[in-house]
This record gives sequence, structure tokens and C-alpha cells, in this order.
Amino acid sequence: MLKEPIKVTINGAEIEAEKGAVLIDVCRDNAENIPSFCYYKDLAPQASCRMCLVRIDKMPKLQTSCTIKVTDGMVVTTQSPEIEKAQRSMGEFLLTNHPLDCPVCDRGGECELQEVIFDWGDVEERFKEEKNKAPEKYLSPIVANDPQRCILCKRCTRVCDEWMGEDAIEAGNRGANTVIGTYGGWLNCSQCGNCIEVCPTGTLLDGVYRHATRPWELDQTITTDVYSSDGMQLSIGSRAGEVHRIVARDRYVNGLNGEFLDVKARFAHEFINHPDRIKTPLIRYSKGGKLIPATWDAAIKYVAHKLSAYGSETAVVASPRLTNESIAALGFFARDAVKTEKVGVADRQSMAAFFENLSSPLATHKDIRYASTIVLIGGDPEEEQTYTAKQIRQAVRNGGAKLIVVNETPIRLTTKASIFIHANHGSVDAFALTVLDASNDSFAAEKLGVDAGLLGDVRDAVFETKGDVIIVCGSDLSSDAQAVIAATAGSLAGDGRRVLLHPLPLYNNSVGAIDILGGGSERDALRSAKAAYVVGSLQDASLLAGKEFVVVQELFETETTVHADVVFPAASFAEVDGTFTNNAGNVQRVRKAIEPLNQSKPDWMITRAIAAEIGVDLGFEPSATSAFKAVADAVPAYEGLRYPALKDESSPVQAKYEIASRDVSGAVDSLRRSVDAIQPADKINETPKVGHKLHRLTTMTSKTPQFHLLANGNPKPDNLLVSPLVQIEPSGAKREMAAAVGVGDRE
Amino acid sequence: MATATPTSFTDQVAVSDEVAEFSPAVVEEMRSHLTKYPADRTRSALIPLLFVIQRERGWVDNAGVNFLAKFLDLEVTDVWETATFYTMFNLRPVGRHHIQICKTLSCRIMGEPEITDHICSKLGIHPGETTEDGRFTVTMVECLGSCGTAPMMQIGFDYYENLTKESVDKILEDCN
Ligand code: SF4
Ligand code: SF4
Ligand code: FES
Ligand code: FES
Repeated sequence: MLKEPIKVTINGAEIEAEKGAVLIDVCRDNAENIPSFCYYKDLAPQASCRMCLVRIDKMPKLQTSCTIKVTDGMVVTTQSPEIEKAQRSMGEFLLTNHPLDCPVCDRGGECELQEVIFDWGDVEERFKEEKNKAPEKYLSPIVANDPQRCILCKRCTRVCDEWMGEDAIEAGNRGANTVIGTYGGWLNCSQCGNCIEVCPTGTLLDGVYRHATRPWELDQTITTDVYSSDGMQLSIGSRAGEVHRIVARDRYVNGLNGEFLDVKARFAHEFINHPDRIKTPLIRYSKGGKLIPATWDAAIKYVAHKLSAYGSETAVVASPRLTNESIAALGFFARDAVKTEKVGVADRQSMAAFFENLSSPLATHKDIRYASTIVLIGGDPEEEQTYTAKQIRQAVRNGGAKLIVVNETPIRLTTKASIFIHANHGSVDAFALTVLDASNDSFAAEKLGVDAGLLGDVRDAVFETKGDVIIVCGSDLSSDAQAVIAATAGSLAGDGRRVLLHPLPLYNNSVGAIDILGGGSERDALRSAKAAYVVGSLQDASLLAGKEFVVVQELFETETTVHADVVFPAASFAEVDGTFTNNAGNVQRVRKAIEPLNQSKPDWMITRAIAAEIGVDLGFEPSATSAFKAVADAVPAYEGLRYPALKDESSPVQAKYEIASRDVSGAVDSLRRSVDAIQPADKINETPKVGHKLHRLTTMTSKTPQFHLLANGNPKPDNLLVSPLVQIEPSGAKREMAAAVGVGDRE
Repeated sequence: MATATPTSFTDQVAVSDEVAEFSPAVVEEMRSHLTKYPADRTRSALIPLLFVIQRERGWVDNAGVNFLAKFLDLEVTDVWETATFYTMFNLRPVGRHHIQICKTLSCRIMGEPEITDHICSKLGIHPGETTEDGRFTVTMVECLGSCGTAPMMQIGFDYYENLTKESVDKILEDCN
């Protein structure tokens, strides 16, 4: 609904619009096509391309519709010979020095310049000037750069500044010599690739995908990110069973995350088609022996025979990276097939206590963007939940929200905060007590090592807020602290003020794992078990030492498979249908982009096959749809959900968590005791380097070669015109062969 | 027509974290520039401060850029963006005498090409280069606003006008 509707006339038709809305948006919402390059929703206006010209009555010249806010009674013409002439001239000017090397441009086929010129360009060029020429080069292992194609719309510099808060890329020099780049020519940023995504031309390009295929040859599959708990929507581009690239959901559809993704979501996809994937079931016939390839039949029979013998002595552990379907299949397996209570989730920092004590609804990412006050307690969203971090930054920068950061580390977001509670090392839990009650302030302040008055300021800021207060809770807080925060938030609301919660779990489906399996840890599950059925890998593989029989489902051989007696080849997220639940409680679809590789199968299918061999029906048909129905029937918060209801990824469906006032006196007592035991410690004063967690090498990210360079300090190669992969060893050392392949100095 | 080749020579800079140090008097001078602008807009002092850096260090070098970024709480790229926009800032070392010859219309009509040729052949360098002894750098610049006395050039902060080959010889001799 419009808050303050006004009347605007566009091309003779009177329409209703929101007061203060940007004219170009209003026109587009009303099906008037206006070409634009530099305009980008929710970024600072730039008005440099002048493609979006319109005529507004009573204004002397054509106006840029991207900078005009609509006012009551405005009369606008978007199409006339005068306007078309102006727009065609702009197109012509843009092409005066544009190389039009579309046949060798990775953006060819999905280039906004091409599209606009198709409609507003002329067949013949009147300019005879020489075209821009420049050698292709690299701005980082991830960001490839063809500077000659730039139209200087500065979308890239604005997303880098406004979305990422990094300001790593800017426009240097001037006039016809202006280039997008950076001091020293080498980007030491988080490598999110958002500048690549928003670039309307082929100037900034995906260094991992470079010259791999043409965009129109790719099948696009909309699915959900497999790394962060933000559940970002993305599109997998695959051809003939191979995943070539990942881009954001869609250039024109603002789904959950619009065009925002981070370095892992966008570039760490090379693990999918990696040759090291486990290809067949493997059996280790005697402890200490080798894993030997086996047939599916033999392996399933063997496992069914063994696990049914161990029965309730079996521990069942799910990785928080699996789909809800696979996690639920495991849950059913534990309950019905082996009848064990030993069920756990291999999460590093579980947020189960938070979800058990919700006293306020979960904030969606959109709520965060339009919040009035944001309290970020613990966590490091810029490195772990990048989309949440972007929403926080935009709320502060574009929405004027107040940010309060409580952290032991001066994370980068603290520079945007109006209050920063810099807690002593190991003391951030103490803050939960002050959320609970002002009478704890002096006690907590002493433990946190901050002035008690500052804690009062935080409270005042919260209670003065009109609009939304978002309490963002990191997973590094103890379970007691999480429980207290989740249970107290509800009591802070009132007076036109909504209080919403936003957790920061670490994995893409940490939330789904909690919803389905509850808060059991891998340690508890495995403690007294004789056998283990692990899907995914454990945080601590040594927990498997001494177990009599271990079954693992994995993509790659890991520390966990070292202990395995049987290993099944699992299908990756790109090869399965399913759902993930993100940190806003959105249950979102995972869609199959390619067929399972080699002999791998979706995890739930393997679990179902073992159960069937034991003689137990897990209660769903061998289809993802049926598996999800079983999940929805088993989990109260997902009641009634079916795949068709989740079809539209641009309007995500939130799970219905039970919101109630909770009695957490037990947690409060034990929190008070543990806070009391906190010893005074030093403060961490150093802000960690950008990418210190994002660029970490893991089983999955390490399969993309570029990540090795990033993890090793992203050294600048001698020659910016040649892929850094050729010039630098994965260790970060310069390669000898650089000379051999003819890498000379730049002229 | 000349081709625009969008590349940036600052790509060659080996960026380090080194931060320049300045004497208390210079830092004080820089602070005084800050006071000319509203407290929340101190980034506006970037241009006067770039001049100070250039004066103190001979050119706008990496350590100087890092210093300014810290001093004004900007990103290094912000300083780079501004410094490369203005031709008055030298992002590579220049000789002791920086000769900037105006190449715009009035000067060109009034004989700039001959003057440029004369200076360059005398010094044995091309525009944009520095003599081996580090004394002179020649740069071609746009109109310096002294068209009435064309052709003209600027050395350091001084204007030399109505140039002839003879007067140029004299001027260069006077430069030590
Ligand atoms: S990759 Fe991301 S952080 Fe790096 S320059 Fe591009 S937008 Fe900025
Ligand atoms: S690089 Fe792309 S996004 Fe950036 S200014 Fe050039 S055309 Fe625009
Ligand atoms: S979109 Fe309006 S000027 Fe570029
Ligand atoms: S043209 Fe040379 S000073 Fe103006």
C-alpha cells in the first residue's frame, strides 16, 4: 500500500504514486520503458549517462528521471520525438569510442549496452574516431578487466562503497582517459564480485569464468547459496553437466538479495565438477586398510546389515550444509530404522538455544534494511553473513539507522556504529544480562571492561526508537546468552516500536538442522556410540576414533572419511532438489542444475535406501517433493509448506516459529554464574584483515584455484595482463615459469 | 584524432603500507587546512593537503597517499581518485624543475610546437620524461589561463610568458 499517495500524469494517463518515489521507478512500475545505465535502485544517484531523459511540464529542459522525485500533479512525457532524439544521441556518443568487441566479450548476449543500443542505437555511425583500445588485464585473481569497454556509469564504484563499505574501486584520471581501477592496479578487497555483477558492460568480468562459454549457451537454474546462512538466491549457469559460473538471481528481479552475492557464493563453485569428487561407494574391509570401490548394492547391503546390528548404539550426525530433506531423512532414520536417541548436528556454533526461546519474530533481510536501530551483539557478519552486513550498512548509510555494535573485536562495521561496546576478550556474553535488566549494568560493564553509562546509552537508544529495532545475535555467544537475548527481546517492544530478532548462524542450513533435529551436538551424539552414521563431515573428526563402524556420505575425502568404513558419494547442492532455511527463517528452494555426477546420489536417497534395506519405510516416496512433504508434516514451523508454495524465489516464505514469552530463569542463573567467572582480559584492538574468514581454504573453497591466492595474501603479480594463476604458486610465491611463458614488463 | 587508451600508469605503483612522516610544523600546517572546512567535511581538505605532500616529498608518493588516507579517514582509492583527476599532482617523481608547457589553442597558434621541440631537444627528452640528472621534467598541460601572453609555460609555481627560443635558453640556464 502507498503511504502517501499522490497523482502523477505519465504520457497522459493519471496514476497514483508514492510521494518522494524516484520518477524512473514510477514510470517503470507503470510499464513505461525508460533506458538507463547509471541508475541503480537504492544506490546514490549518479546521473552521468543521461539515457533516462524525460520531459516534465513547466521544466525548461529534458530532465533525468533518475534524479527526480515525483511530486503531486507532475505531468511527465517519456516518449516523444524530442526525447528519442536526445536518447539516440546519447547512445551514439557512448559508441564513439566504445570498441564494440562483443564477439570476444564475456558479457556479450547479456550486456545492457547492447540491449539499449538495439532499441535506441542507429545502424550507421557518424563518428570516425578511433575506438578505445586496451589490453585485457586483471584487477585481482577474481576480477578481470577490459577497461576499453567502460561507459563510466560508476555503478561498480557505488556498490563497492555503499554495499560493501570497501571503496576498493574508483574512477581514476579524467576525461577520455578515465579508468575504473585502484591505486597500484591490484584489488585487495573482499573480492565479492558485486562490481562485476552490476557492470552493464563487459568491463569488469568474472575471472573464474573468463572466456569459458558464451552466456547464452548456459542453462540457468535458480537456487540457494550453499555457504552463508543468509540464503542468498543465485543462478547457476551450467552446460552439458558442467557448472561454469554463478551469478546473482537476476539483473532485473529484486529477489531476496537482488544482485548481491559474496566471494564464496559467486566464485567458490569449482568443487562441483572437481575431479577429486568421490565417484563410487567405497568400503574399507579392515580397519587401517584402504577404501576400495564397491557397487551401490554391496555397500548399501553391508551398511544396512551393520547398522541394524548396532541399532540404538548408532550415532547419527547431520552436517548443517545438507538440505532439509536430507536432514529429515536422517532424523527419520534415527527414529525408525536404528531407533537411536544419539542424534546430532555438526555445527561449529549452534544457535538452537536462540531458536528455542524466540519471544519476537525473526527479521527478514528487508526489515534490516529499513530498520531504525540495529543492535549487533557478537558475530562478524561482514565475513560470515555478508548479505546481513550489507543490509546493515545500507540501513545506516542510506536509511539513517542507528547502529550499536557489541563485540570483542573491532570488526569493520564498528566504523559505522554510533555506539561501540568494545568488550574485553571473552566477555561479550555479559552484554546479554544488560539486555535483560538495567540493574545488571554495573556488573556487566565491569566484566565487559566498558563504562556503565555506555550501556545506559544503548538502552536509551533502543527505547527512543520509533520503528524497528533489530537485535542481531552472533553465534559466538554462549547458549545461555543466546537464550536470554531471544527471550528478552519481546519485552523491549511497545510504543510504536517493533523488536525483531536476527540470528547469525554459520552454515547455509544451520537453521533447518535445528528446526528438524533440535540442538544436539556431534559430541553428545557420538559420546557413547559404537557406530556412527555421518552425513557430511564433522567439525572434529577425532570424535570418530575408536568407533567400531563408521559410515560417511561426502563429496570429497576429508578428515572424517579417514575414519570411515564405508563412504557413499553424495551429490552436491547443484545436483539435488531440496530446501535450505536461512537465518531469517525463509525456507527456500535448492534446484537441480546438473545431474548427480559420477555415481553420486542425493543424501536423502542414500539414507532412504539403507533404511529400505533394513526393512524400514521412512515415510516418503523416492522424490524430493515427497521428502519435503514429510519434512513439512514433521516440523511444526513448516506446517503446510509444499514446493509450489516456495516457487517464487523473489517473495520468500518464512517458517512460522512459535513466538511466546519464555521463562529463561535457568539460563539467566547459569549465565550470571558464567559471567561472574569471566576473568579480566585484554582488549583486541586490531581490526582483522578483509577476507580473513571469507578467503579461508576449506574442503569446498580450496577447489577453486583463485582462493589459494586469496588465502595466501593475494600478492600482486608482476604482470597485470596475464592471469595471476599463471604467475603465482598457490602458496603465494612467484612462479619461475613466468619468464618461460613470455611474461615481460608492461610497455 | 588521438586515441584514448584507458590505462593508468599508477597500476605500476608497488603499493605498500608504509606511511610517510612529517615534522610537527608540517603536520600543524595540515591541521590548519582542516579548520577551513566544517568538522564533518574534512575530506574537502584533500586538495590543499595533496599540495603539501607534493611540496614536502617532491611528488605524491605511496607513503604520502597512505598518510593522507589515514589523516582524513579516507580509503587510499579516494585519494588516488582525486590525485589522478588533477594534472597538478605528480603521481610519479619529477625533476627539480618541472616544466609545464601549455599546449592549448592560443599557445599552440602562437608557436608552442617550436618551443616544445626546442626545449625537448635541448634537454634530450620527450614530453613526459625526466632528464637523467634529475634536473628537468617536461610535461604538456592544458591552458594555464595566460593566453594573452602565449606561448607560455610554468616552471614550479612561476609563469614564463611570451616565450621565444632565446628567452627559453636564458630561462633554462638560470635553472640550477
Ligand atoms: S570485488 Fe567487491 S569489494 Fe572488491 S572492488 Fe568489487 S565490489 Fe568492491
Ligand atoms: S566498469 Fe562497468 S560498472 Fe564500472 S563504470 Fe565502467 S561500465 Fe560502469
Ligand atoms: S540513468 Fe539517469 S542519468 Fe543515467
Ligand atoms: S592557451 Fe596557453 S595559457 Fe591559455
